[in-house]
Amino acid sequence: MTITFERLSYAYPAEAGMAPVWALDDVGTAIAEGSFGLLAGPSAGGKSTLLRVVNGLVPQFHGGRMTGRVDVQGLDPSRTPAREMARRVGMVFQEPEAQAVAETVEDEIAFGMEQQGVAQPEMRRRVDALLSDLGIEDLRYRRLPTLSGGERQRVAIAAVLALEPAILLLDEPTSQVDPAGADAVIATLLRLHERRGLTVLIAEHRLERLLPVVDTVLEVESGKVAVMTPREAARRLRAVPAVCELGRRRGWSPPPLTVEEARRFVHDAPLRAQLREGPPRGRLLLDVAGLTVTYGERIALREASFGLCAGEVVALVGANGSGKTTLFRAIAGLVHPAHGTVAFEGAAAPRSVQQRTAHTGLVPQDPAIALYHETVRGEIDETLEHRQTGRQRGLAAIDGALGAWDLSPLASANPRDLSVGQQQRVAVATMLAHEPPVWLLDEPTRGADGPAKRWLAERLRAHAAAGGAAIVATHDIESAARYATRVIGLDAGQVVFDLPASTAFAAAGPVPTQVARLVPGARVAEDVI
Amino acid sequence: MHTLAWMAWVALVMAVALTTTNPYYLGVVLLCILLVAVLAPRTGSAVAGFRALLILGSGLFVVSLGIAVINGNYGGHILFTIPGPSVPDWLGGLRLGGPVSAEGLVAEAIRGLAILCVLLAFGVFNGAVSPHRVLRTTPAALFHAGLVVTVGLTLLPASVEDVRRIREMRALRGAPGGWRSLPALVVPAVIGGLERSMRLAEAMEARGYGSSPAGARLPRMLGAASAPLLLLAAAVWSYYPQARPIAIAATALGVLALAYWGWSAARSRRTTRLNSEPMARTDVTMSGISVALAVAAIVTNAAGWVNLSYSPFGGLPWPPFSLAGGTLALSCAWPALRLASQPAASREATAPAALQAMDPAHEVIQP
Repeated sequence: MTITFERLSYAYPAEAGMAPVWALDDVGTAIAEGSFGLLAGPSAGGKSTLLRVVNGLVPQFHGGRMTGRVDVQGLDPSRTPAREMARRVGMVFQEPEAQAVAETVEDEIAFGMEQQGVAQPEMRRRVDALLSDLGIEDLRYRRLPTLSGGERQRVAIAAVLALEPAILLLDEPTSQVDPAGADAVIATLLRLHERRGLTVLIAEHRLERLLPVVDTVLEVESGKVAVMTPREAARRLRAVPAVCELGRRRGWSPPPLTVEEARRFVHDAPLRAQLREGPPRGRLLLDVAGLTVTYGERIALREASFGLCAGEVVALVGANGSGKTTLFRAIAGLVHPAHGTVAFEGAAAPRSVQQRTAHTGLVPQDPAIALYHETVRGEIDETLEHRQTGRQRGLAAIDGALGAWDLSPLASANPRDLSVGQQQRVAVATMLAHEPPVWLLDEPTRGADGPAKRWLAERLRAHAAAGGAAIVATHDIESAARYATRVIGLDAGQVVFDLPASTAFAAAGPVPTQVARLVPGARVAEDVI
Repeated sequence: MHTLAWMAWVALVMAVALTTTNPYYLGVVLLCILLVAVLAPRTGSAVAGFRALLILGSGLFVVSLGIAVINGNYGGHILFTIPGPSVPDWLGGLRLGGPVSAEGLVAEAIRGLAILCVLLAFGVFNGAVSPHRVLRTTPAALFHAGLVVTVGLTLLPASVEDVRRIREMRALRGAPGGWRSLPALVVPAVIGGLERSMRLAEAMEARGYGSSPAGARLPRMLGAASAPLLLLAAAVWSYYPQARPIAIAATALGVLALAYWGWSAARSRRTTRLNSEPMARTDVTMSGISVALAVAAIVTNAAGWVNLSYSPFGGLPWPPFSLAGGTLALSCAWPALRLASQPAASREATAPAALQAMDPAHEVIQP
């Protein structure tokens, strides 16, 4: 056993006079050498904390109270100096940009070795080997800020592996990355696991790629840990990939983990889909014509044209850097297009960002960084104050907005004390509290767990049913299939397809869902009868 | 050009600009800096652009002249008089208003010019050399402190980017701009910056940084003892001229203690470097000459061999000009020769990547 937890409990430092909240509660588990393990479970359930216990950041960096015993390769990480632990356990954090120390890829990989005093020829050998193992030789002399998300994540992995640890920990390594980047990261991890016999532990919410390849699943929820095989996980986890969900509903045994495994069951007993009717399309709310945006020499958006009608929810898909964010910025008036027009309900869009977003609200990525009031109510109040100049603004309006976003129980909480998922919801609510008819959401489900994604899908469907419309930029095809009525694909700044959801998510479409590949006409497990 | 060569040049500019008070020489130094600035590569992650620094420096120059006017001053050529209250003597001769003399203004302008020169020299250095390259040439004893500063410097542009994003988000919420929204900008930016620093510190800790053994006790004690020794030496030297040998001995002891601390720190911190920047022979030569010239400027001026100073008081005389002084000032232009002799392609090689990285709208860098 390379990692052993015995009766481990841990609480982050609490304010004086407050009772400690146990982030980990009586964990007793062992992980065998050479395991490829997945930590699954809801947000704030203790996944990140458990990873940090393994390399000693908890409690050495974070403080707090810890009881019980941890053993990692014969060492107690809560007492061993970080310099020692770093040689045995490597950790890749959620945001690759937050962990970069150096300027170029090569120096970033060498940083840990320089700290350990590794001799120069050995350093060169390891850097060469890592660059080729991770398939990033061409990035060697690149500056870190110029890399894409997937590339940065692989550089971060290389930087950690340079110390040749036996255990690699990753905290949501694919949550910030587009599908191609996520595939590359996971393929890299698998290869390293096989070639180097590395023990890998990954905490992640997007399970469809990982569940078929891992050998152990640790379900972490409210500080409790349960160990199971991937098959058991497919039966027992609260949020599972769509194909497992379908298997559960149909009672397939053993539960399939991939679409290929599920084909056998479908072949034996073909399934039919119940077609879902979206709300009827209403009047034209937003019209974009020939929109082109350039940043210096680079063309970020090229002749984008489409209309958006009431009742539509569009999923905007495309790789990192394909122009999704730029399109939103141009519609909201944050960048001025080189040419092309934006019209709201048939009239030219107003000039100022404030006036534009009164009609077409935009929620950018990481909206929670702008929160600054003491209470959630204060945040909502401020938005309504700005939006309803001149009109009578009452407590009822604030309570209405809080209720609409399911924030009433949190109204007097400080946004900074909330969990990441709740913070995200507060931030979305502050941007859209004035109920604009059109919503633009930039990657709203990034790093969100199953219930949070489902909640957002409900909210979007209700908005469309009430005569609104929305565009959601996302990498998460499976959750987009729950709410989208139409899919627009961007590639290198150009609209490459604009299809109704029934065609786009279908097996032959550009973004097929797992269920659609099994049952013609269905998109998500709920569609199958 | 090598980082150390750039440092030597900054040292030379500082030495010349701060020893001379002759407007001719200062003017020559300023022109030299501007020439170097035009030719210097812009590959560093300059926190402030050179242009912004130029505007700031000129602004400071004007402000210092303004303050000189308000303070009033002495001198024979009174230009005009500003009415002001008479301040009691016991406030240490502070003056508000009163006669404004040409001499006073000229003296203030000369002081402002010297400060402008130093500011711009740092601006060129900052633009030409990234903090990461500076870090690579830091002695091992100062490596930890240097790394912290470097990381801090690279976090600063990130905070500027944060403020930009938060401003946009405020506009998206319908908030009007203006000064009243300052707390709404600053609070999240500060909190965001702190959180970012914590995450980075955590990541560095996980990679084995920061927990190296603190080093033996003796060298650390000696390192600490060097400061009072050097202070003592300075005090004795200035107040007790008859005891100067003691001051020299104290200086020597202090320097020795410091050197021992540095040496043992370098030995105990067994860090290595993947890319040690090789120093070209020209750079070595020119750095040596720069340092020698810097020392020469200070020594000759102190000894009075070459008169670098000029005082406008005493009848506003025309400043003197000597060939030696002029040559010394002109030597501040040496990086221009060095840079002009390199092919333009190699000077600008990394510029497009750097520009791309700084483009705030570049989607790749938006997290």
